[in-house]
Amino acid sequence: MNYGFIIDNRKCIGCHACTVACKAEHEVPVGVNRTWVKYIEKGTFPDTRRLFSVMRCNHCADAPCVEICPVTALFTRSDGIVDFDSRRCIGCKACTQACPYDALYMEPDDHTAAKCNYCTHRVDVGLEPACVNVCPEHAIISGDMDNPTSEISQLLAREVVQVRKPEKGTKPKLFYIDGDNASLDPTETNPDTDYMWSSQSSGVGHYAKFAERRVAESPLKEETAAQKSNFVQIEPRKKARRVYDAPNKGVLWGWEVSAYIWTKAIAAGAFLVPILGGYFMEVPESINRVGVIIAFVFLAITGVLLIMDLGRPDRFLNVLFRPQWKSWLSRGAYIITAYGGLLTLWLLASFLGFGNVLKYIEPFGIVFALLSAVYTAFLFAQAKGRDFWQSPMLGLHMLIHSLMAGFAVFLLANLFVKMNVGLLLALSFLTIITLIFHLITLAIELITTHTTDDAHATVKMITSGEFSRAFWFGMILVGNTLPLILLFAGQIWALALAGVLILAGLYFAQHIWVKAPQRIPLS
Amino acid sequence: MLKHNPSFIERIAEKLHLIENLHKEESVELPRLTEPGELTDYPPPEQWDNWTEYEAKSGLRRKARNYMIIPTTCFNCEAGCGLLSYVDKETMRVRKFEGNPYHPGSRGRNCAKGPATINQINDTDRILYPMRRKGKRGAGEWERVSWDEVLDDIAAKIRAALLEDRRNEVVYHVGRPGHEGFMDRILQAWGVDGHNSHTNICSAGARFGYAIWQGADRPSPDHGNAQFIFLISAHLESGHYFNPHAQRIIEGMMNGAKLAVMDTRLSNTASMADYWMPSYPGSEAAVLLAIANILIRENLYNEEFLRNWVNWRESLKELNPNAEVTFENFTAELEKLYAEYTPEFAEAESGVTAVMIEEVARQIGRAGTRFSAHNWRSAGSGNLGGWAVARCLHFLNVLTGSVGTVGGTLPSAWNKFKPKGFSTPPAQKFWNELHFPLEYPLSHYEMSFLLPHFLKENRGRLAVYFTRVFNPVWTYPDGFTWIEALSDEQKIGMHIALTPTWNETAYFADYVLPMGHASERHDLTSYETHSGMWISFRQPVLREAARKMGKNVKFTYEANPGEVWEEDEFWFELSWRIDPDGELGIRKHFISPYRAGEKITIAEYYQYIFENTKGLPEKAAEENLSPLDYMRKYGAFEIEKAVYNKHLDSLSETELEGAEIDSENGDVRKNGKVIGVMIDGAARTGFNSPSRKQEFYSATTKDWGWAEYAVPTYVKSHIHPENLDASKNEIVLVPTFRLPTLIHTRSGNAKWLAEISNRNPLWMHTSDGERWGIKTGDLVRVSTDIGYFINRAWVTEGMKPGVVACSHHIGRWRRAQDAKNNRWSTNQVTIEEVESGKWKMRVVEGIGAYKSSDPDTSRIFWTDGGVHQNITFPVHPDPVSGMHCWHQKVTVEKAHSGDKYGDVFVDTKKSFAIYKEWLAMTRPAPGPNGLRRPLWLARPLRPTDEMFYVENSNT
Repeated sequence: MNYGFIIDNRKCIGCHACTVACKAEHEVPVGVNRTWVKYIEKGTFPDTRRLFSVMRCNHCADAPCVEICPVTALFTRSDGIVDFDSRRCIGCKACTQACPYDALYMEPDDHTAAKCNYCTHRVDVGLEPACVNVCPEHAIISGDMDNPTSEISQLLAREVVQVRKPEKGTKPKLFYIDGDNASLDPTETNPDTDYMWSSQSSGVGHYAKFAERRVAESPLKEETAAQKSNFVQIEPRKKARRVYDAPNKGVLWGWEVSAYIWTKAIAAGAFLVPILGGYFMEVPESINRVGVIIAFVFLAITGVLLIMDLGRPDRFLNVLFRPQWKSWLSRGAYIITAYGGLLTLWLLASFLGFGNVLKYIEPFGIVFALLSAVYTAFLFAQAKGRDFWQSPMLGLHMLIHSLMAGFAVFLLANLFVKMNVGLLLALSFLTIITLIFHLITLAIELITTHTTDDAHATVKMITSGEFSRAFWFGMILVGNTLPLILLFAGQIWALALAGVLILAGLYFAQHIWVKAPQRIPLS
Repeated sequence: MLKHNPSFIERIAEKLHLIENLHKEESVELPRLTEPGELTDYPPPEQWDNWTEYEAKSGLRRKARNYMIIPTTCFNCEAGCGLLSYVDKETMRVRKFEGNPYHPGSRGRNCAKGPATINQINDTDRILYPMRRKGKRGAGEWERVSWDEVLDDIAAKIRAALLEDRRNEVVYHVGRPGHEGFMDRILQAWGVDGHNSHTNICSAGARFGYAIWQGADRPSPDHGNAQFIFLISAHLESGHYFNPHAQRIIEGMMNGAKLAVMDTRLSNTASMADYWMPSYPGSEAAVLLAIANILIRENLYNEEFLRNWVNWRESLKELNPNAEVTFENFTAELEKLYAEYTPEFAEAESGVTAVMIEEVARQIGRAGTRFSAHNWRSAGSGNLGGWAVARCLHFLNVLTGSVGTVGGTLPSAWNKFKPKGFSTPPAQKFWNELHFPLEYPLSHYEMSFLLPHFLKENRGRLAVYFTRVFNPVWTYPDGFTWIEALSDEQKIGMHIALTPTWNETAYFADYVLPMGHASERHDLTSYETHSGMWISFRQPVLREAARKMGKNVKFTYEANPGEVWEEDEFWFELSWRIDPDGELGIRKHFISPYRAGEKITIAEYYQYIFENTKGLPEKAAEENLSPLDYMRKYGAFEIEKAVYNKHLDSLSETELEGAEIDSENGDVRKNGKVIGVMIDGAARTGFNSPSRKQEFYSATTKDWGWAEYAVPTYVKSHIHPENLDASKNEIVLVPTFRLPTLIHTRSGNAKWLAEISNRNPLWMHTSDGERWGIKTGDLVRVSTDIGYFINRAWVTEGMKPGVVACSHHIGRWRRAQDAKNNRWSTNQVTIEEVESGKWKMRVVEGIGAYKSSDPDTSRIFWTDGGVHQNITFPVHPDPVSGMHCWHQKVTVEKAHSGDKYGDVFVDTKKSFAIYKEWLAMTRPAPGPNGLRRPLWLARPLRPTDEMFYVENSNT
């Protein structure tokens, strides 16, 4: 059995009955939708047309949301439906990044993820989904694609159909008859806040909590361009225009995520630098201890940030105890737990006088520090919705960032825990090399590796758009160039300042890398 | 069913209570209705009394809920689509609404407004109890009262009016009827000419155009079987009867039919069309006549139908008295008459290209009898002479012989059931000139929108005025004149608002009485949604659920939320109390036909109707049910599957007794009236016109002073470019288009509809935006003849250049003193009469999130509640059809400094002057024989024939 959908645009009149029937069936909160109708217009008068496209979960055969969910809250049934169990969900929002189709939303009261689930509660008693049932035109067709005599199979066999973003490899099972790229490709039109009969002035879903706090503003208030630019303004290639759409759900991985990647980089680097360095030169125990303590503290902060970011921090233990092994979020959780355990072990051994076992702990520590540093790149790669994160360079970047963080920590720590000249020189030298190497890989990353439109648009946002200041000033100037100059200068305070600036630059980097790709519309 | 297999780690962690145990609950496994892999649409009716399904919100916990599924009829527009309500047996509340598969019109499917009914039921701001005003009318202070008090107070006032011979002061003014014939009985039982409606701001124009041809005033297009569909409407998104028609239009198209849509704006319907004909507003009839011209010239017309069923002999005699009366001479006259309507002429008038007009004409010719066409509002309700649009559109049906055929356009009366009540009170012996004044003898329905102007002119007063699901202050033109009239207790003694929600008119009432929604009232509906005929039953589902569980409720308000009642029972009770001793002759019409001398119950009222519905008792008997119980169970009944060519039905023997046949033209005459037509050797019933034929030449039009309009013709609109001063930047505003998700006033508290549709910017074409220097989002001032409103621009390619448009919905408001209501869609405003007759409205607060027992109210993510444009429009009563011509001559410019979004200004002195201007265009009664109105033209709440004569009814 393999359930799928057809949206037959020869018949769909864009009436929104499906939107409302779904709301009624599942008591979906105001502001978010499991299914909605996007309207676009194309052409010049009198050759103009408005097109309606029903949008929802595609129940992909190879669902990236299922792959990324750390707790099997999302899963594929044996009948092909991608369903979810909100009791398991921890609200990590990774699925909202993995889905290339904007199908998921965060429940404003429960803070767990939700989406169209093909009305499995109805299917399980033999009833078709609520949207199929209400549609005045029978334009939504559900059925078993494995059964050649079903209506859906017959239509799939005889009609020309298309899917959204086939290049993603998700194998979507929602097919459009008479689909039009101007509507199905989100980059063909600009999203907006004001449409032909609707407008959005505050958040929905995850951000619904801000609506109430805002005093009811008279629509007299003019919105600033900045307020309206929650979206990337992409130049449409065709004269197509988005004239109605569901409200924008906002950027769901926010400062907590940028912050935890930053603290994790420090946690990895603060250990790697002295311990790895110890294989090549004499590193005093006190330096090692500083490193491991800082690593431990920042790893703990990372943990706290990770838990804070969850919609359901009360369920954080689910990540460890309901692991979904394919997800890099699950793997990452175990990695940093193991890393934390090793750090603890190291500290215990070091402070309780078992210094001789340290050399047995350290190799494992290095492995897990490296893994901790880079696993996020693999997690980001599973986020199929964000093309910019599908970069092969991302892992290398994260490794370099953690080394930079480690170096920076010691450049700063030198103010309090004096290092000998030899160490300091090595430190400065390595930092300079790494910074240069960082700038080179950054250049390669931004110039060469991105092939899709979405990724290109993200690069543009970073280098010349709304993130350009954070990038050029924060990352390049403050985070790399000034430190280089300061490192060449050589004074203790210069080195320490370089450390601070490198860390600041790293924070800008995570902020940009996490936020920018989320500005690209998925639907 | 999925059973999750936890991993080893998960199982241990659950056992150790480190995480919640998700695997302990044994959820019930419900039986399937179908084999795995198969899906069906509805649970079978055998299970409706006790249906169990999983609760969606319980997710994988798979909690089961137990429901009674009880059918009713949607109340969110006149289509009357079927609904099934799911009554939770534990909470005794409605959980949700789905479609009713047994409804022959809607067939189990609904538009967005159907399932959204649950929002209206559960609205935390809804009126739950009868309210009476404290303090001045309009001051916004209310107190709760009992239904008893309400009934006694109103009954006393009505009784006094009847006893003191002030019968024309008792008026029931309806917006949305949603029922068949019920109020006629009530008003005629009281003996008052007290029915007023909204038709003349809605569809009166088009309906007059159809009625003058054939009596039946609405088309019933058989879209599903058509080959070519022509809409001067937006039936894939709005209008009567949106959902059922939209289903069949698309079915027709999937079967190969082509669709042409004539609309100045790119509606959703126009987007689905094969031919979008973006006509300049008011030019539609020119295009239609150009099409007619082609059909005639190129011999694409149906000769047989024209010969048999058009009054061509009378027409020829009028058009060319000297010609020999032959059919060929008639067609020659036709050709002459319409020769000037070349495609080029039509293109010059309308902007629709001659090429497209020709192609459409030939497609129509090719479609022949399978040509279904519809004009509902649109051009018919926008323009002076708009009724001519329907007159000309139907002309195309006549030419192609597609009247009453499979795939053609049927007269509405064939597909609509008129219920037979248990008794019929006699027609009233009164004529209320506040409804049908002398100036508008042919007015299709009441001159309702002129009521406040008539009151201003002291033509009468109202002692008891009911506004029922009716919001003229907001929906009608010139709302401030309404506010002035409603605020005057001398002119309107008692104003009672019967409504499911607060609304702008109710703020100026003395009583606000909550009447139920779709699942909270009794009604019977029947509409011409397709070629069949059906009835649908609306019932208070909680009351029905209680009854099924053995608990009998006396009045519906005992079962509904709060004390929300229903009109049917309210009118019964009121009528009973108006006439406590039966002296007035009213009580006898409310005596049960089943229990001698006892007051009728609502169940008995419908029991009688159902017992007398053709085919229903037999169908019910198949299941051992009484007709009433059958309707309670299924909610709808198909009386006829398909009705075509009823004009060919033979006259019965009794009908033919005493009749004589005119050998020249085949008329069958009896008692001085034509009752049928001889066709092919049999006497056929024909159509409902005086000649029983399709009246190409309308003697009525000529007899009543409009000889120039006696045949289908093109009337130039009041906003024809000739009437606009381009140098002053005058342009036409089309303010009438609807949205698929809203229904005027009562969708204002439907949150799922409001979140989709909540603003109404001014649509304009890119070229107009450019020449005015206006971009999308800019503030603009739109000035009408009596005031202005400040809106935002929506620059689009989906609009005809030289025309602007704004949606008729949206722009709702409440003042600081008004009850918090419809907060999903109302702006908070101040209203000030800055000088006598000069009114200023300003938005002080848009829509905003608020705390209530519904968590969704804190999630409102929009602030823009749109702009109230209707109130800035003066009345434009068409002198022939009485239709308010909605289109406005306006100027559009950038907002002035000091203007704020949502500002409205109106000068009611100016609007009164414009009323007078249009009044002067009329050609008043009396007509032939001293009649007020042609006897053969239908009239709502028809008085005795006597009353049609001015001398008999001079009140």
